[in-house]
Amino acid sequence: MGSMFWRILWKLLGASRGRLALALVALSCGAAITSALLNVNLDAERKLTQEFRTLGANVVVAPASTGSDAALADAAVMDRIAALGDPRIAAAAPYLYMAVSIPTNSGTQPVILAGTWFDQVAKMNSWWKLEGSWVASREDRMHCLAGRTAARQLGLAPGSHIDLRSGDHNVALTVTGIVTTGGSEDDQIFTSLAVAQELANLPGQVSLVQISVAGTSSEIQAVTHRLTDALPGLEVHPVRQIAAAEGSILGRIRGMLFWTIALILTLSALGVLASMAALAMERSRDVGLMKALGGPVPRIMRLFLTEAGVLGVLGGAIGFAVGIVLARWIGGRVFGVAISPRLELFPVTVVLTVAVALAGALPLRLLGRVRPAEILRGE
Amino acid sequence: MTPLVQVRQLEKRFGAICALDHVSFDVEAGEWIAIMGPSGSGKTTLINILGGLDHVTSGQVMVDGLEIGQLGERELTRYRSDKIGFVFQQFHLVPYLTALENVMLAQYFHSITDEKDAAEALRRVGLGDRLEHLPAHLSGGEQQRVAIARALINHPKLILADEPTGNLDEANEAVILNLFRELHSSGHTILVVTHSQAIGNLADRRLELEHGRLARISVPSLAKK
Repeated sequence: MGSMFWRILWKLLGASRGRLALALVALSCGAAITSALLNVNLDAERKLTQEFRTLGANVVVAPASTGSDAALADAAVMDRIAALGDPRIAAAAPYLYMAVSIPTNSGTQPVILAGTWFDQVAKMNSWWKLEGSWVASREDRMHCLAGRTAARQLGLAPGSHIDLRSGDHNVALTVTGIVTTGGSEDDQIFTSLAVAQELANLPGQVSLVQISVAGTSSEIQAVTHRLTDALPGLEVHPVRQIAAAEGSILGRIRGMLFWTIALILTLSALGVLASMAALAMERSRDVGLMKALGGPVPRIMRLFLTEAGVLGVLGGAIGFAVGIVLARWIGGRVFGVAISPRLELFPVTVVLTVAVALAGALPLRLLGRVRPAEILRGE
Repeated sequence: MTPLVQVRQLEKRFGAICALDHVSFDVEAGEWIAIMGPSGSGKTTLINILGGLDHVTSGQVMVDGLEIGQLGERELTRYRSDKIGFVFQQFHLVPYLTALENVMLAQYFHSITDEKDAAEALRRVGLGDRLEHLPAHLSGGEQQRVAIARALINHPKLILADEPTGNLDEANEAVILNLFRELHSSGHTILVVTHSQAIGNLADRRLELEHGRLARISVPSLAKK
């Protein structure tokens, strides 16, 4: 393509500024939304799985079912989980459950005690509502948390003192906070794992381990397999409802973004089509003349398709830039964080926009069928 | 010597309408032919067929050894680019290209562009100072001179002009006629469709069409002299 080609193209672009500007606006809008949604899509999974990880455990490690309370896993299981070093394991909390009695004015009240690691519980259950404060460390033997229902029954509030008894063992603790979870945890008292093991006289034993795994359904499945291999004799199973719900949400979001992009690009193509149809009417005489002068159809069409391609590249570039701003805004509104721009989406956006521009340039392609004799006669 | 143009039993139909009815004639290289006749007599159809813009229904049209009725679309495009120079009544310049670029456009479709040659062609028709003007900024006569420069730029075998002075005032008509005279004297073969007796009188021969038939071929008195 020589300099005359670009010279004519430049003049073509200048001669139809108005209509081409409309087509460019349609393309830029489509590209902006496409780029924004692709950006959001790439970051959405990461952001959402982070969000999901605050919604509690999605994998549970428990002793093989024997129907006996004696089937307790060794606390050393926590070392083996840590030894895996899997970055997808966001948190792991051991639990030892036992029944304890608490002296009250009218005798004693039985209650379920859960010994655990508070730092891990806090990490995977940040949605728990807490009145007061968390127990500062997993080694703390002086403090405990109380579930909301248990606290009401026992008349506990942050700062209250309670005695916990189990057989010959007893321990006096101070309540630092009251938790509301909406689940069975509301009926329980939470102490450090060491306190529970001492009360139950089960040193080094846990009932189960709750694990929070970040990732899609397939990643959760992969971590489950790794854990099963690393923990022979224990059952490792995902909390199916949570894992399935997370996978389903991600799938639906991906599907919605895909169809939204398809719809937006179709609308852009229709916008371009409308502008190009008007342009084709204006240019039919020029094309008839060019053909009369001996212009081969492919050569003439190359001019118009390059023009559409230039519009596509411009629209894609403008749209990508606007899309980054839009993605940041959507990220802020939906996820509460700024979506980081992905430069690898630039070529994708431009290629998609060029494809849309070429699809929208269909009326210009039809100009190749113009019969010069009819056009020059003014028909 | 073989005539440059040989038309034998040319028939052109548009549905039931017969635009050209078994027309036959020859044109020698270097001749200036005026095609005359009332509106609807088939003059423009004849020019369009000779220019490769329309297809024949039957008969034979040979131009410079090519039977154009046998040419496909691609060959016809090449034929128009190589052999024909068109001059239209409506000028038909591309409005967003300058005078120079309009001439270069014909070069571009023919082979390669040469800005100096294009500028020289415009100087020859007296538009050396209008190279960068857009058609909208040129008078009718100047636009037609650009069209003539464009028609000549690829050294065509045949110049086909359809009412070249039909949209011009007398002064501009005279300028264009002078240009045609110069082209003729320099050996160009010209076929001009015209209603103008003045142009008809300048030609070597006049082909007169009536209802698609070639009614007569005459030699104007000026040519006889």
